[in-house]
Formats: sequence, structure tokens, C-alpha cells
Amino acid sequence: MGMVYALYLLGAFVSIILYKENKVAGKIGFSIAAAASALGVFYFLFSLNSSESLEISGNFLFHPHFSLDSLGKFFSFVICFISLASSIYSIQYADEYAQKSNIGVMAFLFNAFILSMLLVISASNVFWFMVFWELMTLVSYLLICFNDDEKSLKATVIYMGIAHLGGSMILAAFLLLAKSSGSMEFADFTAKNLTPLSASIIFLLAFIGFGSKAGMFPFHVWLPKAHPAAPSNVSALMSGVMIKVAIFGIIKFCLWLPVMSWWGILILIIGALSALLGVLYALTQHDYKALLAYHSVENIGIILLGLGIGVYGLAIHSPLLAAVGFLGGLYHVLNHATFKGLLFLSAGSVLYATHTKDMEILGGLAKKMPYTALAFLIGAMAITALPPLNGFVSEWFTYQAMLQAALGEGFLYRLTFTLSIVALALTGALAVMCFVKVYSVIFGGTPRNKKIYEKAQEAPISMIIGMFILVIGCFAFGLGATTVVDNIMHVVGSFAGQYQAVKDGAVVSPLGSLISTPMIAIILMSFLALPFIIVVIALNNKTTKHIVRKTDPWACGFKYSPRMQMTASPFTGSLRKIMDWLFRADAKVIDQGYFKPVKYINHAKDIWWNIFYLPFIKIVATFSNKAQYLQNGRTNLYVLYILIALCVFVVIGYLI
Amino acid sequence: MSTIFWMIIQVLAVIAIAPLFDGIARIVRAKMQSRVGPPDIFQTYRDLKKLFKRNKTVPKYSHWVFKYAPYILFATTATMLAALPVTYSTDITAGMIADVFVIVYLGALFRFIFGVASMDSGNTFAAIGGNREQMIGVFVEPVLIICLIVVMLLAKSSNLVIIQNLVREGEIGYQFPSFAIASIAFLWAIYVETGRNPYDFAEAEQELQEGLLSEYCAEDLALSHLTLLIKQFAMIGLFLTIFEPWNFKNPLLALIVFIIETGVFYVAAVFIDNLGPRYRLLREFKKESTFVLVIAFISLILYAIGV
Repeated sequence: MGMVYALYLLGAFVSIILYKENKVAGKIGFSIAAAASALGVFYFLFSLNSSESLEISGNFLFHPHFSLDSLGKFFSFVICFISLASSIYSIQYADEYAQKSNIGVMAFLFNAFILSMLLVISASNVFWFMVFWELMTLVSYLLICFNDDEKSLKATVIYMGIAHLGGSMILAAFLLLAKSSGSMEFADFTAKNLTPLSASIIFLLAFIGFGSKAGMFPFHVWLPKAHPAAPSNVSALMSGVMIKVAIFGIIKFCLWLPVMSWWGILILIIGALSALLGVLYALTQHDYKALLAYHSVENIGIILLGLGIGVYGLAIHSPLLAAVGFLGGLYHVLNHATFKGLLFLSAGSVLYATHTKDMEILGGLAKKMPYTALAFLIGAMAITALPPLNGFVSEWFTYQAMLQAALGEGFLYRLTFTLSIVALALTGALAVMCFVKVYSVIFGGTPRNKKIYEKAQEAPISMIIGMFILVIGCFAFGLGATTVVDNIMHVVGSFAGQYQAVKDGAVVSPLGSLISTPMIAIILMSFLALPFIIVVIALNNKTTKHIVRKTDPWACGFKYSPRMQMTASPFTGSLRKIMDWLFRADAKVIDQGYFKPVKYINHAKDIWWNIFYLPFIKIVATFSNKAQYLQNGRTNLYVLYILIALCVFVVIGYLI
Repeated sequence: MSTIFWMIIQVLAVIAIAPLFDGIARIVRAKMQSRVGPPDIFQTYRDLKKLFKRNKTVPKYSHWVFKYAPYILFATTATMLAALPVTYSTDITAGMIADVFVIVYLGALFRFIFGVASMDSGNTFAAIGGNREQMIGVFVEPVLIICLIVVMLLAKSSNLVIIQNLVREGEIGYQFPSFAIASIAFLWAIYVETGRNPYDFAEAEQELQEGLLSEYCAEDLALSHLTLLIKQFAMIGLFLTIFEPWNFKNPLLALIVFIIETGVFYVAAVFIDNLGPRYRLLREFKKESTFVLVIAFISLILYAIGV
């Protein structure tokens, strides 16, 4: 593992040293990142079941000591896999930024970002965990800044604000836990001295802290702002893996603490809410990158559903339930990283070709960019959990986990678990609607803006390779479900229960239900052959020649115009109408006079911003206004403040 | 291996016979509307045959999704039908695809491809139809899944083969109030999913389920028609598999009974179909689906309190 880390470090330094050779530095930096990731993918995959550690000798603070167990290896594998695709993609994608910024710096930050995520996973004491955690936030902040405009500035401020809130809560949770166990080393953490109340407080702090980074409801507001603002290769990493690092943190805390069953229920309910609200807001978006960001909220919700069951299973000492819950959650971590990475990379290709994030003026791009369209379609089908792709298998396990939990006793428990199944099913139906919209508005139909359509070109080769690595992932993790489940079961077995999840080439739930994705694929394929055979026979029997004419679509006898076709907002119109109590859109009709078209604006609002954040921001602003009298810019005064603070601390220290 | 063989036989048999029942349904419908109607029950076969002979037009800008959608849709519905344990109902390990979630998500795959193809055609009406199809999915999915949850929890499995065996042996069944109530809501959901009046599929075809196909012609249209027929059979079959399973060990006999049963349901649906106008999506449909959702919810509550 030291080798992998060293390679990323090398990549970072080489690209920053060569920063004057703008494009060359980027190419070398991203290539080294790709090599490191490729090494990492194989290394972490083949050593998944062993744990190892790495110590850096020398006079460092809190001697740096990194260790990886199976869980850490699994997350490291996910990070490296997405990084592999994203860094290959970046080699040519970064040229986009050659004019306005330095690619060498970008490659440096990119390498540093991946490295910081890997080190967070492997850090083994509080100090280094927090250092790398904050480093990860800081580096991703700088990466978002590459698209330098007004929007990205606002996005970064919101991102930093929430990251700070989360970071402080995580730190508080760590310190409380460290105090009770008397050591800052993770290995020495025990829950012996904890009362149920203090354990719950630590858990809540950690859950909110990590959850805000993961983008769960109601801390999701930064995702749809920050992800569209970041360059696409970075959004793939941020959405694909950075938010998973937070999931890793939640799992870690649940293993250190004496879990209680209501924690599991809390995680489950938050998960269900995130899933439903995430997909509902995604449906109203016009900006396809913001839409994908909201889908990250949804998928984090689905992951939390799995984890919630796992934690609940741990709490009620049911290893089977814990095993299947964590299996569903971790499987979805891997899957979501794969298809969300894929979707962001293909969205990046669209942006690269069209330079617009507004899907309402795109259309028909599949003719110009066939590979990108195919990649996006596969990603869309995977994220909507269509069999036999990968998303289906993990959602199946999540369903099975919830079903098994619902078999337990207790009216309220049963109701909670069954309602979360309904939430997941409804999320699935809405996600289908959303991805029908985004795929067909961007790639299908008649071009809405001829200029953009004419200019659009297929993405260069390295970007296509990057995307197709993840396409292969979508198929492999779906069709090779038995292998994946086998491996994840080992990981889950190392900290929770275990059961025989693979039997006769099918994956099995503890209830005994079984599915086999290769079998579904075989049957789908064999039935796909059937209509072709029918058509071939029918066409051969035809006496006249078979003629295919290309025409405009039918338009009730009028001359067809591309403006007649459906766009993104009317496609979700009926849904927005019935969900208006949530969206609170204020529709505006602007009459521009007789000769110009009437403008109709109808944007849904994220009301949680007004409910949770605006009051808080207002309080801070008023407080800052009051506090400005203290800050008059005189150095002497500040020295006095420091002196007073010191005295106060001495007094407090003396009293305690 | 024999399972796959029986799956294919099952699908082929339905494909061969479904148009016959459609022909019967059309005659019944014509009689109810005091029309002459088709001359005999084989009219649907002739229609399909005629369509295969036609030349076709495709929209200029549509891409391969539009082109291959009828084939993919056909494969999806055929797989749905194959996933119903009709002929291989005694073999549990063979039922590796006979899972409730597989069928529900194959339905999602169907809706996804259907929607994308309709938008890709560039036709306004097709896209409105696509939108309606998605909305119907949003309305029906919760009802469908709640009923299925109740059944799955009672059976403690999501495997259709196991569920069917348990219902057949009387271990679970109408003696449970939750099961009985779930069957009512489920029947509604199935009826909507088959895409008929008053929810869908009126004679005026634009903007409804058939409207999605407005740019399709010739062999594509024929395949799509066949697909919709198979889908209706698969949906009715799902209801029968769970709530009214047949009692035959012999696969061939089971298949014949299955086809006749679904066929009778298919024709009987004409009587609901013809009475009353088509519902508006956001008014009557919404009201009715809320009502059914409440019914489904009652069954869920009944399960939760343990009856």
C-alpha cells in the first residue's frame, strides 16, 4: 500500500514541478495518477482479506501510522477504481482548462485529493484522521474553484460552511470517545466507560458530522451547488468516492460504540427521506450536473437504508440481519461509485462538446456522440436499478434486508421497515422517470439548437476509455454478482455477521430468496433474438422490396418544428403539479409583447434552505454585525484579547 | 436446463395464443358498442401479418434507441412472462429469476425503454404519452409494492415459486385478512398496468399508451402490439400466480390452464374497459389511486398488527 501512496505523491510533485509546461505537466500528472490507481485496484483487490499497516519512521507529530483492515481495503479499492477511470479521462479532458488555468496545478491537486482520501481511510489515530479529513475538504475546495465564476464561488462558500460544521462535529465525537477510552489511537478505542447517553451523543455527533459530508438530508444543500461547479473529472471523484469516505466514517463509529437499535432506525429513516427527496428534487432540475448531484443524495439514502438495517441487526444481536444489511449497503457503495462516476464523466463529455449545462437547448446528440450516449444510457440503466446491471443486485439485497427486518416483532418496527421498502420502490419509479427525461432530452429527439448540434463532436479517445472502464464495471459488478458478493461477504464478516450468500451460481438472501443475474441476462438475450428471427422471416417472405424512408415526425398535418417536441420541464409537469406543496415553485408568466414569445418560468425551490439554513445564516450575520465593534483593526487590542483569553483558560483550568 | 426449455415454451405458447384472445375481446367490445366488429376471432393475426408487409418510415434524427426499442421491449416482456413459475412451478432452485423484485424491475426496464423511445422519436404526442406512462408508474408502483410486501412477508420469501407453493397448499391465503385486502388493491394495480380504459388505451390513441408508438410502423409496430399483448398476459399472470395459483403438477396442463385463465381475465376486462370514459391523470386517476393506496395501506397495517 505504501507503493500506491508513494506513486500518487510522486504524481503530485512531478506535476507541480513541471507547472510551467502547462499541458505536458497535466498529461504526466494524470498518467501517473492513472498508473497509481491501476496498481491500487489490483493491489487492494487481491489483498482484500488481509490487513496490513504502514509506519513512517522519523520525528513526526503523533507518529504517523496507517493501517488497513478488510473494510479499509474495500473502500480503498472503490477509490482507486473510480480514480483510474477519472484520471484516464482527465488526460485529455483537462485541455479544456488550458486557457484559463494551470493544468499542472490541477493534476497536483487531483493526485493530492485521491491520496488524501486514501489516507483518511487508513489513518489510525484521531490526529491524522482529522488532518487528512480536512485536507480532503480543502483540496476538493480548491478543485471546485477551477471553474472560476460567480456561481462556483457561492458553491464553494456553502461547501466550506457545511464541511466546517461537519468537521467540528466529527472532531467533537472523536475527542469525546478518545477521552472515555483514554487514548487517541483507534486501536485502543473502547466503549467500556460509556453510558448509553454519552454513547448516543457521540453517535449523533458523528452521524451528523459524516452525514453532512455524505450529503444526506437535510445537509444535502451543498451537493447540487458544488458538484456542477466542479470540473467533471473532479465531480466524478467527489460524488463517486468522497461522499463514500463519510459512509466509511459512519460504519467505523458504529463499530466502536455500543450500538442501540434506535440508531439503526434513525439511519434508516434519514436514508428513506434522503432517497425520496433527492430524487424528487432531481426531477425538477434543468442543469444535468445538478440533477446528477441530487441523485447522489438519493443514492446515499439507499446506502443508508442498508447501513441502517446493518446497525439495527448489530444492536439486536442478529448477525444474519447485520450481514445482509451491511452487504446491501457496501455493495451499493461500490455500485453507486461506479455508475455515478460514469454519469458524471459522460456529462462532462457533453459539457466538453456543447459548453452548456442547460439540457433544454440540447437534443439529438446521440447521432454526434454515439459512445458518450451509450455510456450515459448504461449508467442511467444501472442507477435506476434495471436488471441485470449492477444497481439491481445491491437494491435487491437492500430490499431483502428490509424484508427480513420487517419480519420481526413490534408494530412500529414493522411499519417503519415496510414503509422504507415502499419509499425505496417509489424512489425507483421516480428515478426511472428522471433518467428517461435526462437521457432523451440530451441525446434523443431532434436537436433543439442547431448551432450547438452542428458544433458537437465525439469526445477524444482518452475520455471514451475512461468512461468505458466504468461501463465495464457496471456490467461486471452486475453479472459477476456472485464474485462481488463473495468478496464483500468476507469484508462484512470481519466486523458483523456472515452467512452463505452464494449458492449454485446465484446470490441468496438469508430468507432463502435467490436470483442469478447471468441467468436473467441469458434469458433476456435469448428473447432478444426471438423478435429478430420473426422479423427476418417476415421480411424474407415479403414479395416487394422493403423500403425505409426517413421523414420528419408526424405533427398533425402541420410542418414539424423541433420546438414542438417535449422538453425537460413539461415532461415532469404533472408530477410538479401534484408535488407543489413540496416544490413551492412560483410560476411567472412574462408577456413580452405581441411579436415575441411569452416566457414561462417555473423553478422548483429547495425549501430546506429557507427552513434550516437561512435563519442560521441570519443569526450569524447579525452576530457578526454586532461583533464588528470588537474588531477595529488595532493590533494592541488584539494582543489584549489574547491575554484575556489566556487568563480565562488558566482560571478555567485551575477550577477544573 | 429443462427449466429454460419450459420458460421458452411458456413464452412461445402465449405469443401464439394471445392474439386469439385479443380477437375475442375485440368482438365482445364491438357487440357491446353495437358495431359489427371484426369478422372472426382471428382478426388480430391478420392485422399483425399485414403490418409485417408494410414499408416503414423513421424520424430523421432518431437514433438506435428508437430503432431497437421494439426488440428490447419484446425481450423484456417475454422475460417477465418467463419469470412467472407456470410450468416449472415445483422446482425451487430453478426459479432463479422467478423473484418478485425481478418482475417489478423488469417492469421498470420496460417503462424506461418505452419512455426513452417515445421521447427519441421527436413526436409531441409520443412524448406526452411517455410522460403519462411514467406518471402512471409513479401512481401504481406504491400500491403494487405494498401488496407484494404483504404477500412476501406472509410467505417469508420473495421467490414466486415458494410463494405460489405456499398459497396452493393453503399455508397462506384468504384466511389472512391482510392477504385478502392486498389482493383487491393488487387487482386494481394489475388492471392499470395492463394499460386499459379508463386509465389508458382508448380508441383515440394519441397521447396514451398507444400514442407512444405513434412514430412506429410496419414490423416495429407489429412487434410493439405483440409486446403490449404479452405484457398484459404477464401482468394478469402475476396476479394469478400469487393470488389464484393453479393446481397442476403436469407442466403442459398447467400451461394450458394458465393461458385459458389469463385469457378469460383478458376478455373479461373488456366489460370494465367499455363502461365509462377515460380518466384525467391529475383528477380522477389521482383520486382513485389515492383511494386504492389507502386500501393497500390498510392491508399493510393489518399485517403489522399481526393478522
